[in-house]
Amino acid sequence: MTKEEAPGATEEEQQAQSKKGLKKQQKEAEKAAKKAEKQAKLAADQQSTEEDDFAKDRYGVSAMVQSQHKLDRVLVRVQDLTPAKADQLIWLRARVHTSRAKGKQCFLVLRQQQFNLQALVAVGDRASKQMVKFAANITKESIVDVEAFVRTVEQKIESCSQQDVELHIERIFVVSQAEPRLPLQLEDAARPDGEGEEEGRATVNQDTKLDNRVIDLRTTTSQAIFRLQSGVCQLFRDTLTEKGFVEIQTPKIISAASEGGANVFTVSYFKTSAYLAQSPQLYKQMCICGDFDKVFCVGPVFRAEDSNTHRHLTEFVGLDIEMSFNYHYHEVIDSITDTMVQIFKGLRDNFQTEIQTVNKQFPSEPFKFLEPTLRLEYTEAVAMLHEAGVEMGDEEDLSTPNEKLLGRLVKEKYDTDFYVLDKYPLAVRPFYTMPDPNNPKYSNSYDMFMRGEEILSGAQRVHDAQLLTDRAKHHQIDLEKIKAYIDSFRYGAPPHGGGGIGLERVCMLYLGLHNIRQTSMFPRDPKRLTP
Amino acid sequence: MALRELSSLEKYLGLKKPNKYSTQGEKKVPVLQKANAPPLVGLVTVACHLAKEAKRPELLGDSAESRALVQQWLEYRVTKLDGCTREDAKTVLKDLNLYLQDKVYMAGNQFTLADTFMFYGIHPLIVDFAVQEKEQYVNVTRWFDHIQHYPGIRHPLPPVVVLRNKIYSSKHY
Repeated sequence: MTKEEAPGATEEEQQAQSKKGLKKQQKEAEKAAKKAEKQAKLAADQQSTEEDDFAKDRYGVSAMVQSQHKLDRVLVRVQDLTPAKADQLIWLRARVHTSRAKGKQCFLVLRQQQFNLQALVAVGDRASKQMVKFAANITKESIVDVEAFVRTVEQKIESCSQQDVELHIERIFVVSQAEPRLPLQLEDAARPDGEGEEEGRATVNQDTKLDNRVIDLRTTTSQAIFRLQSGVCQLFRDTLTEKGFVEIQTPKIISAASEGGANVFTVSYFKTSAYLAQSPQLYKQMCICGDFDKVFCVGPVFRAEDSNTHRHLTEFVGLDIEMSFNYHYHEVIDSITDTMVQIFKGLRDNFQTEIQTVNKQFPSEPFKFLEPTLRLEYTEAVAMLHEAGVEMGDEEDLSTPNEKLLGRLVKEKYDTDFYVLDKYPLAVRPFYTMPDPNNPKYSNSYDMFMRGEEILSGAQRVHDAQLLTDRAKHHQIDLEKIKAYIDSFRYGAPPHGGGGIGLERVCMLYLGLHNIRQTSMFPRDPKRLTP
Repeated sequence: MALRELSSLEKYLGLKKPNKYSTQGEKKVPVLQKANAPPLVGLVTVACHLAKEAKRPELLGDSAESRALVQQWLEYRVTKLDGCTREDAKTVLKDLNLYLQDKVYMAGNQFTLADTFMFYGIHPLIVDFAVQEKEQYVNVTRWFDHIQHYPGIRHPLPPVVVLRNKIYSSKHY
């Protein structure tokens, strides 16, 4: 064609233009022809699909499960697929994590929670061309039922959790189809920060993840985080129950704010208003007065603080402890620190896989603790900070940067990520805190820290109605509103103390994560109320 | 600030009679007017003059190379460090940290005027640093700590606490 055109180029402009038009027409005709051809092919394809598909009943979209049948079919779990099951024919239900068609084969990665394995549909005497095509077209995240032979592989499959086996699919049915467009890709959500930046791959920011929490929760990292969180609760309960504690349930709708009225949510309660509990503080103390001796409580706690930080939520799960003691509130500290140590040990011994999974995306140093737990007094801490060049008053509360710095100093000196800070200045603690008998400026109160951030705040409480009234007056609290609480101590109350732990914070700090929203399944903060 | 620095330098040099300075222009450039002599203008010019007057020429460098380095850093101090924004300061400190990696003093193995004036120039930055930042620019901080303990230099500036141990050792912190 170029040769024919060459002399034409020397001719008149008009002719050249008409030639251009001719070319255009030609091209269009070609296009149309191609299109027709394609359509014909597609039709033929379809025809052949309908005509000679010998594997027609080995794949497809199965009818909606409306509990029509009780199938006598055992579904094997992905994590149980090991070389021990080699050459067995099994059924399996899993999600399609990825699929990749390659000629007459289609490789699928099937995922079940944090486990996945490779599966293969290949054209042969069991699977038809159409079946492979069908498998390749199943949308990501769809749920499928698969019948397959377990086969050992020669070379380990590095990208999967089940590295020694793969599945040779005999049948594949879609149980639930996912929409083809996902709001976010799981690989992107699970990519470590910074990695893939060179390759120009996307990472998903926190808000997008939270907006599509259901999908984000499917990532191996999220799966591991919340399994570990469940472990924390379990270990907390087990340890305390063993120590003779009783689990209690307390109301969350309360009539008066327990510690300062500024940061409570008000709810309308019929003709009057009520508050959402900031802590089960008053109730667990009343249980002590009710002779329950040692109690704990796991439940939601609300804070109406308008602080948008990496470690504040407006609703979180509180793990609360209250116990009576004999002579010294250090009995309480020892009991709580021992519980924490049991939790840390339990996590270390039983949740290593989960910890490592999270570390892959969010690297951190292993959590370190001492036994018995390190206990520092507030004055010692202030001295350490002074030595590091921080200027602060002896009875000033610790600012967040100073808390963190202190954590690093303690880590450097004692090599522990967990310690207790004892004897806080009385002025910075709530009214029910017992003053220190030796120095009225300090109190029998303590905070516990993990990786330099506060996880627990606690104290010996005032169990004497008269002193409690005095302290409440000193804090200018309306005595009428806390009358029921003060009255509880008039009929004989044992000395007692306790503390409250934030579950999300413990998980966040144990794993060395940097945002509490990562350890809250459906986080609530001043800017987020959904999902 | 320049005047205070010059009077600190005089004290360090042990000059008996303090000079009287005036300033010139909006930037308050120091001027030294001596009897029977033309006025000397500018921090670096006056400082060099004082060193010579005190018969401490080694403070300007004791070899051709170190003399050049001293002049270079004195110039760096007045052109780059003075009046730099917080963002610029980060770049300056990063470069300086790299430069000081294998050096005790600004011009090598000898204390010189370059150390004095870089110290005065950097002091207001370091004094505001958190422990973590000091650790980030560890070579600058080491040099700074050394100079602030060098006899007669720091006064009247407040001492800055420098930790000897690394506490932010982990890269994952």
